Amino acid sequence: METQQSLFISSLQEPETKEKAFKRLVQEYKERLYWHIRKIVISHDDADDVLQNTFIKVFKGIDKFKQDSKLYSWMYRIATNESITFINKRARERNIDITEMKQEMVSNLQSDVWFSGNDIQIILQEAVARLPKKQQLVFNMKYFDHLKYQEISEILGTSVGGLKASYFQAVKKIENYIINKHN
Amino acid sequence: MKRVINHSKDWKLTEDIKTGFTVPESYFTCIEDELFSKLIEEKLPKHNGFKTPKSYFEELEDLIIKKTKKGKVITLKRKKIKLISVAASIALLLFFGSNFIFNNNNTELSSEEIISWLDVNANLLSNDEIAFALTELNINDINPYLAIKNEDIVESLLNSNDLDYLIEDINTK
Repeated sequence: METQQSLFISSLQEPETKEKAFKRLVQEYKERLYWHIRKIVISHDDADDVLQNTFIKVFKGIDKFKQDSKLYSWMYRIATNESITFINKRARERNIDITEMKQEMVSNLQSDVWFSGNDIQIILQEAVARLPKKQQLVFNMKYFDHLKYQEISEILGTSVGGLKASYFQAVKKIENYIINKHN
Repeated sequence: MKRVINHSKDWKLTEDIKTGFTVPESYFTCIEDELFSKLIEEKLPKHNGFKTPKSYFEELEDLIIKKTKKGKVITLKRKKIKLISVAASIALLLFFGSNFIFNNNNTELSSEEIISWLDVNANLLSNDEIAFALTELNINDINPYLAIKNEDIVESLLNSNDLDYLIEDINTK
C-alpha cells in the first residue's frame, strides 16, 4: 500500500507522467474533497471555486510533497485551509464575524437551488454553523464523511483524545440547539 | 466507591497480565462520551441535503486540467495586482501623510510608523479605492521607486509559458 502510494506520487512528480497521474488524482478525490469543502462554504458555486483552487494548489505543490504525511491527509489539509481562508476573506469583506457569516450562509439555504434538505436538515446546518471552527470540522468529518478519528487526527494535527472530546462537545451542543428550537 | 475503584484497578492489572491485550491510551476515559455521542447521532438526519448540478463531477477533471495549464499566467496577474495594491497603498499614504506633515508642524511620521501602519491597514483598502487613487495620483511623481518598470513587465511576460492565454486575456479587456 505504501509502495503503491510512493509510485503514484512519483508519477505525479515526473513531468512526463504528471498530467495523466493528476487526472487520476482528481478523479479519485474530487467528490470527497468537494463534499468536505461544501460543508464548510455551504454554497455550490463557492465550493466549486474552492475545490478548483485546492486542486491547483495540489498540482503546484506536489513536486515539493515530501511524503511525511499521507497524500489524502495533505490534500484534505489544503482543502480545509482553502475553505477557511475563503470564509475569512468573505467575512472580512463584509466586515462581520466568521460565525455570523456562516449563519448568514446557512440562512440562505432555503432559497438555494442546490439544497434539497428539509426543516430538520436546515436546523442541523444552523446548529453546526454555531459551533466553534474546530468542532464544526470534527463534526462534519466524523458524522457526514465517516472519517476515522485517526484519519481526522492526521488531517487536523490534533490528538485522537482531543478530537473525541471535541466531537462529544459538538454533538451535545447540536442536540441542545435542536431541542431549544423545537420548544 | 473507593473499594470499587481499587477493585477495578486490580482487575485491570490482572487482566493485562493474563491476556496481554492492551487498549489505546484514554480509551476508557472517552468511552462514555463516545456512547452518548452515538445515542444523539441516532436522532440526527443522516444526509445534509446538499446537491450539485447534473454532470458537475463528470466535467470537473477537464476544467481543472485546463486551469492548471493557465495557472502561471493567473499567478502573474495576481502578483501584478498585489504589487499595484501595495504601491497604491504606499502612494496614498505618502500623499495623505505628506499633507498631514505639512499641515501639522508638531507631528512627523517616521518610516517605521508608515511600515507598521501598512502592515496593519493594507487590507482595508478595497480595489475600488485603489483604482480611484490611481486615477487621481501619478505614482511616478510621488516616488519613482514605486513605479512598475517596463523591463519588469517584459521579464514577467518572457517567463510566462502561456503567452497565448495572456494575449487572449488582454484582447478580451
